[in-house]
Amino acid sequence: MIFSEITLGHYLALSGFLFIIGLAGVLLRRSLLIVMMSLELLLNAANLALVAVGRFQGLPDTQVAVFFVITVAAAEVAIGLAILVAIFRVKKTTAIDSMSSLRF
Amino acid sequence: MIAYTPYLILLLPLVAAVLIRLFLHPFPKIAVTCSVGACLLSFGGSLLLLASGTPSGGMAAPTVTWIEFAGLKANFGLVADPLARMMAALVTGVAFLVHIYSIGYLSKDPSRSRFFAELSLFVFSMLGIVFADNLVTMFIFWELVGLSSYLLIGFWFDRPAAGAAANKAFLVNRIGDFGFILGILGTWSLFGTIGFADLPSRASAGVAGWAVTAVGLGLFCGCLGKSAQFPLHVWLPDSMEGPTPVSSLLHAATMVVAGVYMLIRVLPVLELSQVTMTTIAWVGGIMTLLPAMIACQQNDIKRILAYSTLSEIAYMVMAVGLGVTGPAMYHLMTHAFFKCLLFLASGSVIHGCHEEQDIWKMGGLSKRMPFTYRVTWIGTIALCGIPPVSGFWSKDAIFTATASHPGLAAVSMLAGFFTSFFMLRMILVAFGGNPRGEGAKHAHEGPPVMVVPMLILAVLSIFSGLFPVEAFLGAGHEAHHASWTLWVSLLVALAGFIPAYQIYAGANQDPVSIPLLRGKFYIDEFYQRFFVAGQDGLGRLADAFEGWVVRGFIVRGSGVMARAAGQGLRLVQCGQVQIYAAVFIVGAMLLVGWLIRSGAWK
Amino acid sequence: MEQIFFWSLAIGLLTAATAVVVLRNPVSSAVCLVVALVFQAALFVTLEANFLAAVQVIVYAGAVMVLFLFVIMLLDVKEEARRPMVWSKVVAVGAGVVVAILGIPRLATSFPASQKTLVWGQGKTSGAAQDLGTLLFASYAPLFLLTGVLLLVATIGVVVLCRRDPGT
Repeated sequence: MIFSEITLGHYLALSGFLFIIGLAGVLLRRSLLIVMMSLELLLNAANLALVAVGRFQGLPDTQVAVFFVITVAAAEVAIGLAILVAIFRVKKTTAIDSMSSLRF
Repeated sequence: MIAYTPYLILLLPLVAAVLIRLFLHPFPKIAVTCSVGACLLSFGGSLLLLASGTPSGGMAAPTVTWIEFAGLKANFGLVADPLARMMAALVTGVAFLVHIYSIGYLSKDPSRSRFFAELSLFVFSMLGIVFADNLVTMFIFWELVGLSSYLLIGFWFDRPAAGAAANKAFLVNRIGDFGFILGILGTWSLFGTIGFADLPSRASAGVAGWAVTAVGLGLFCGCLGKSAQFPLHVWLPDSMEGPTPVSSLLHAATMVVAGVYMLIRVLPVLELSQVTMTTIAWVGGIMTLLPAMIACQQNDIKRILAYSTLSEIAYMVMAVGLGVTGPAMYHLMTHAFFKCLLFLASGSVIHGCHEEQDIWKMGGLSKRMPFTYRVTWIGTIALCGIPPVSGFWSKDAIFTATASHPGLAAVSMLAGFFTSFFMLRMILVAFGGNPRGEGAKHAHEGPPVMVVPMLILAVLSIFSGLFPVEAFLGAGHEAHHASWTLWVSLLVALAGFIPAYQIYAGANQDPVSIPLLRGKFYIDEFYQRFFVAGQDGLGRLADAFEGWVVRGFIVRGSGVMARAAGQGLRLVQCGQVQIYAAVFIVGAMLLVGWLIRSGAWK
Repeated sequence: MEQIFFWSLAIGLLTAATAVVVLRNPVSSAVCLVVALVFQAALFVTLEANFLAAVQVIVYAGAVMVLFLFVIMLLDVKEEARRPMVWSKVVAVGAGVVVAILGIPRLATSFPASQKTLVWGQGKTSGAAQDLGTLLFASYAPLFLLTGVLLLVATIGVVVLCRRDPGT
């Protein structure tokens, strides 16, 4: 079944796997940089799903949505890295474990 | 004008009490005058009432509607029917004599203003009971009398024994009052009225069954408490901690007979149930005997008289139980005189021996206090029922009533035997022989203020047998005199003197020792073990419960649980972003899963 | 044709993504992410969204990842140290992987629209720049302007955040 025609389901499954991989990276890696890169993977998974659905259902608006997502992702990366740099100046490390002062 | 006299009689002592309490404490002489004057005026008023009304006609003073709801109509009103008038004259008369006596007895006491205030309060309360025209009013004054008794027993409140005795009196009374209240409520619910005037007519309609018995017994409970009958008799001997005038007035002549008076008032209700009447008669019967036996082994002169009082009241109660109220009231009246006389005499002895109350430390008083010695003899003869003195006639009337109940007759005559025994024992030990103590060596008579009331009471004790009591009770209550009870009781009473003389004439210590009797049948100890200790145990249980469950578990526990919950929830704030993210993801997935399950996309 | 492209691109994408998450050297991760993004762009092409593919490569792979690499170089981030293997973590991850492999295809094909097949040339959307632009500037013009504001704010934010304290 999976090896006959390519269906929307394939693209959605691919998007799902990509999402899971990105999730694993966000939750399990120690370095903040890698976490941010994994966040990009998450966003990409969403983009893929959007485009796929738009293509199969005949909705061109999803492509506009993806456009915006990419833009926002770019802004988010910029800000995130700026924060990372600011923290790095104080903590001298990018390990997330050391950034847990906001606790009880 | 005459119609308001009961109010005047009732309220004058109250006015005196209030005046003394509010203003006259620092002026004992004025306080004393005020109190004695009020009592004298009340006495005058009662004599007036006694003389003016026709013996069989009733007369009610204006009433004030007080409680009126749901069919219960309780007025605050006074009724001056013949019974009330006679009782009022008795109460105020004896009270007046005791007032005079107290002037001498307490002449050196710094708190005598307070004493006279409380005494006036008592007279007011007692007259309230006498004049009350319904059970609720009577109950209010009932409680007031209990209060006065508490105040007077604990007059010397710096003595722990006095305080304890006052508490005991009040609490035991309260137990009786509980039954009394139930009886009052039962009366209202069964008969629809609580006024003494309506009771005869409503009661004769007849309601049979256990309800009436219960109501009757409830009312009898009040009598048990106030008149100190078994099982609530334990407070009377202890009440002797109060000053002797108090013992004579309250706990011999007037307050303790309030129970009998109340029983006579509610007799229509009691008569409906034979069970109730039999119970009352037998409680009275047993109570004539037991205290008489206990008194044979008591060494405190006042306690001997206290147990004698218990026995005599039991005669009255027994008479009521047998349905003859005439002899009951007759004996009430004569007993008031001679018992009051005996107590005043004992007070004179105590005063003369410088506060010594143990008869084994007295002795030889017949020569040092001859007047007291003679009046004591008069009182004793009256008490034991020896003719021709008053006590004989009243006691014999009661014995006549027992003629058809051989059990009761036997018990009460046996009590008469013991009464003679312990009274002669008391006289021989306290007055006879040689002085055994320091106080007795220097004994002397009291001042005239103490002597004169005793003299008057002695005269009354001798001659009050002639007073036509029955005329004041209406028809159907005349006392008859059967011949065989007359002779048998007389013989038994005289027989009681013989062993007493043989054992105690010239004795310097008590040759007889019966621990059961000296220990008052250990009833007090039984109560202490069961009720007081049981109450303490319950109290401790409640305290443990309160400490552990309420204070510990609920109050502190809720605090602890809140704290623990807070501590637990604290752990959520770990500061680790990845953990927050993980929780977030899990939550989101659960949400999505739930949405899919509920078919949002199908 | 469609199948060959899809499968090769899919496997490539997943491999690159896994590499991003697994590698310890941040530079290696960044480079692998670039590769993944390019694969993603290729997948966009298979979905006939040509313009988006171009945007993806230019903006995402070209600008964002370069920024990442700049920061990595700036901070001179070292290779992440090896940590002792925590068995509970391994088991948890393994279980998660198994669940994912079993569950996701099922989930993805459970939608009714998931049966639609891919045939190039029969899509109803046009991925051309012109059409996308028309949509963007006409229907979504307000959002487009807001995006501009967003980028401005981001720029200002970055400058503010990276300022050193006066005096140091």
